[in-house]
Amino acid sequence: MTSTIKYKLLLSIGLLSAAIIAFQLVLMQILSIVQWHHFAYMIISVAMLGFGAAGTVLSLSRTWLLKHSEIMVPVLMMVSGLSMSFVVGWSQSSFTRFDSYLVFADYRQAGKLLLTYLLFFTPFFFGALAIGILFVQYVASISKIYFADLFGSGMGGLFALVLTWIYLPQQLPAIISILPIIAGIIILPGRSKSRALIIILSFLVILWQLAHPPQLIPSQYKDISKTLLLPEAKVTIQKSSPYGFVQTVTSPVLRYAPGLSLTAQNTARVKAAAFVNGDWFGPITSWKKEDSSFILDYTTSALPYVMRKRNKVLVLRTSTGIDVAHAVSHDVESITTTEPNSVVLSLLKKELALASDSLLYQPKVMSQRMEPRTFLMMDTARYDLIVLPMTGTFGGSSGLYALQEQAIMTREAFQEMWLRLNENGVISITSWMDYPLRNPLKVLATMVEVLYNSGIKNPRAHLAAIRSWGTITFVLTKSPVTVTEVANIRKFCDDMMFDPAILPGLKAEERSSYNQLQDERFFRYIDQILSENRKAFYDEYDFNIKPATDNKPFFSQFLRWENLNRLSHFFGTRSIPFFEVGYFLVLVTLVQIAIVSFVLILLPLFKLGWSGKNKFSILLYFSGIGLGYMFVEIVLIQHFILYFGNPVYAASAVLTSLLIFSGLGSNVSARFIGSKKDSYLLFVLIALLLLIDAFVLMPLLQNTIHVSLPIKLVIVLLLMGPLAFLMGMPFPSGLSLVSKSNPEAIPWAWGVNGCISVISTALATILSIELGFNWVLFLAALAYCLPVIGLSWF
Amino acid sequence: MNGVIPCLLFLFFVSFFQEDYKEKREGMVKLQIEKRGVKDAAVLNAMRQVKRHLFVPSSSIPDAYNDGPLPIGYGQTISQPYIVAYMTEAIKPKPEYKVLEIGTGSGYQAAVLSPIVKEVYTIEIVPQLGTAAANRLKKLGYKNVQAKIGDGYYGWKEHGPYDAIVVTAATEYVPPPLLEQLKDGGRMIIPIGSPFMTQTLMLVEKKGKKATTKSLLPVMFVPFTREKK
Repeated sequence: MTSTIKYKLLLSIGLLSAAIIAFQLVLMQILSIVQWHHFAYMIISVAMLGFGAAGTVLSLSRTWLLKHSEIMVPVLMMVSGLSMSFVVGWSQSSFTRFDSYLVFADYRQAGKLLLTYLLFFTPFFFGALAIGILFVQYVASISKIYFADLFGSGMGGLFALVLTWIYLPQQLPAIISILPIIAGIIILPGRSKSRALIIILSFLVILWQLAHPPQLIPSQYKDISKTLLLPEAKVTIQKSSPYGFVQTVTSPVLRYAPGLSLTAQNTARVKAAAFVNGDWFGPITSWKKEDSSFILDYTTSALPYVMRKRNKVLVLRTSTGIDVAHAVSHDVESITTTEPNSVVLSLLKKELALASDSLLYQPKVMSQRMEPRTFLMMDTARYDLIVLPMTGTFGGSSGLYALQEQAIMTREAFQEMWLRLNENGVISITSWMDYPLRNPLKVLATMVEVLYNSGIKNPRAHLAAIRSWGTITFVLTKSPVTVTEVANIRKFCDDMMFDPAILPGLKAEERSSYNQLQDERFFRYIDQILSENRKAFYDEYDFNIKPATDNKPFFSQFLRWENLNRLSHFFGTRSIPFFEVGYFLVLVTLVQIAIVSFVLILLPLFKLGWSGKNKFSILLYFSGIGLGYMFVEIVLIQHFILYFGNPVYAASAVLTSLLIFSGLGSNVSARFIGSKKDSYLLFVLIALLLLIDAFVLMPLLQNTIHVSLPIKLVIVLLLMGPLAFLMGMPFPSGLSLVSKSNPEAIPWAWGVNGCISVISTALATILSIELGFNWVLFLAALAYCLPVIGLSWF
Repeated sequence: MNGVIPCLLFLFFVSFFQEDYKEKREGMVKLQIEKRGVKDAAVLNAMRQVKRHLFVPSSSIPDAYNDGPLPIGYGQTISQPYIVAYMTEAIKPKPEYKVLEIGTGSGYQAAVLSPIVKEVYTIEIVPQLGTAAANRLKKLGYKNVQAKIGDGYYGWKEHGPYDAIVVTAATEYVPPPLLEQLKDGGRMIIPIGSPFMTQTLMLVEKKGKKATTKSLLPVMFVPFTREKK
């Protein structure tokens, strides 16, 4: 390999790897638009097994592929690029398009799902096969090649981030597909006419695809699809961004009034509705008194304003401004509000300023662009009222949010809110009444734990809750609820036909004067949560209603696996996926990829032989580093999102710097890791750093959250840089070891790593929910001990 | 003579399948509806009479009498048979009743109400669904059902007030005009829950200028706490 070829080759690998990561991220967004986030994850996980499959194919056809590598590698790269530009369009054809909502109701959708898997698998498989051939062929230079791979992947993440600001989601696959085609052209051999023809044809195809991007058709069950069926409904604004695809829809019959009082006479019209990736985000309403009374005054959300006048309000999550408008309509003195989605904020300040009556330009409104929890940790002001976003969804969310980390819904977050209240301050949160009961009980449990934790002996004195036919609003008060406040609440309930659920001096019969429940156990549950025996109740209840914590911030995760049989008995087996469809899908994903991976890992052994030549040590080594790396990546992304207060940029920064630092580690690995002893030392160092991180990472980040951005960046680089640098070394040094003892097993080792990396993303999610993030870091440290065992048998 | 045998075969298959669906309907009523506690004879008869398989897309006909909701397109579903029966029974229908339905969907709920009450008025906001359902109901001879396409929020004032209102599409709020068009003592039933999930229902009873609601759990379950050992 001459130095010129080597340079070209490295560039080519970098471009291909960048395209693969960029395509993966773009695909995630496209599938989130047409289906849902978790289905997108399920599909992409299977597609990413293209890496494992490539390892298997390479193991089985090693000789032939290496013999024809000069032509095969560029051709595979170009085929990968071309398939990137086509698969999204094909997946949207009527023959292939499946509806994820129907997968559990209509099993005929399964065939379409299988076709979708196959389509999205294609570009990853061909791209991975090209990389795999080069890994095997140039194993002596593996540290350089792996560096190019990781560096390219890191840049691919940034590339996707930039592109999503500029182009619509459906245009992106064709743009990204240019990279693998260029990667192929760079190393395409010869100067013949056929070479020129291939280049011209490839670009003509891409140009055609750019001019005719596929039409994305969202599932008929997505919020935007249903809204667009309304009379005269039309999309008025659409903006692509890494925060998601934001669209606004107008229709004369659009209305918003969650759990509206039966006494209300308002029409509850809204001027527009905003959607992110086709999911409901919020209404844009008029708030001026002269238009009408504010609609939320006819819902239970009015509770904190009914109790007494509020002057200083904090709205945690602006969304489209409905809670801010509510506060403005009550003539409060100042409103602070925070929202991380900069696109929605920008819309409210520009295109939607008129429709929202210039809400964010009101002198009393101070708008922050930040994750609400990050703001809460940095803020030092005190408030009369802290408003949380409504929890649950009308009629139940079907568990779509079970895996969503909700940093403002943890016990620690409520504790911070409690500290931000002034003497008469309250925290207010409204929840849909769900069935079976989950959200309201968990909200109450969180509030009660905070009260006990703050030394309040009688939590009932600091709580009030009122209930309409569909919603319940809780307030947690810093000082005991006063007699005047109780009188105000009672009058409001009478006027609106609401019922008090928690109130000092409340009689049992008052709890359902207007809105009766067939199952009145709800009130007993409330009383049990308010009692000192609440912890026994948490254990007895069929759903997980223990307050979420920062270590396990999954507020909407309610399912307890040990009760699955009971739930299946009461509600029918077909209902079960809809209780916690998000979690259920990750399990399905894990099972699917585990089965396919099992086959992909075992298949080459029929050729390579089952025993001898370090098979088990290779399996341990490459499984361990695959598991460990992905576990660390997922935990770090979660922690840094909170630290920086911005999900998109934090995730990109973590991913990119992790990959680049690992690439640098890989680049120098040959120099530092020369013997088994060096490898042992390397793994001990990695495991030690991870154990230290498990203890110090979260407290360190929480205590330095107030510092300026440059200092934060330095802290993050110091925390992550050395770890990522070391984590980049085991893969190339492992392949070098394999090349010395059993070169035929190199593709298999690479395939094992590919399969286990995909498995570990799903596994990390499940472990985070069940055990918490700290445990995932511990397990990452343990995973890095597996290669140590493997090494001893090399 | 050549055409007789195919004709006989055709008639045999037609009658065979009709019989099959009748049995399925009978089974549906017995196992899914009566067993769960729906007792109103008129409702049970209507559920036996109305051919549910004619209200579902052709691809779902084999599943028409299954114990679950089915997709009918446009993000809408035809409710589980038991829920239809339960909602119909919940309004305590009488032969002289005038009933308003919001959300025609495929027209199945209106068809079930048709033999039980005097007049049924039904409104659908999605034109494609509304037109298809109106044609279907007309073709099947449900003469006391009047359908229109429009915004159900405002009800159908010209024919009001109604003895009962059945809202078949889940809604986040109760439209004030519907409450106005309900007779004093009238009942309104509304489902709560996303498609394919076990649904709860809300019953609104109008009493003068006031109204009360009752949340109903069609599928009652044992307590959600485990018995202490």
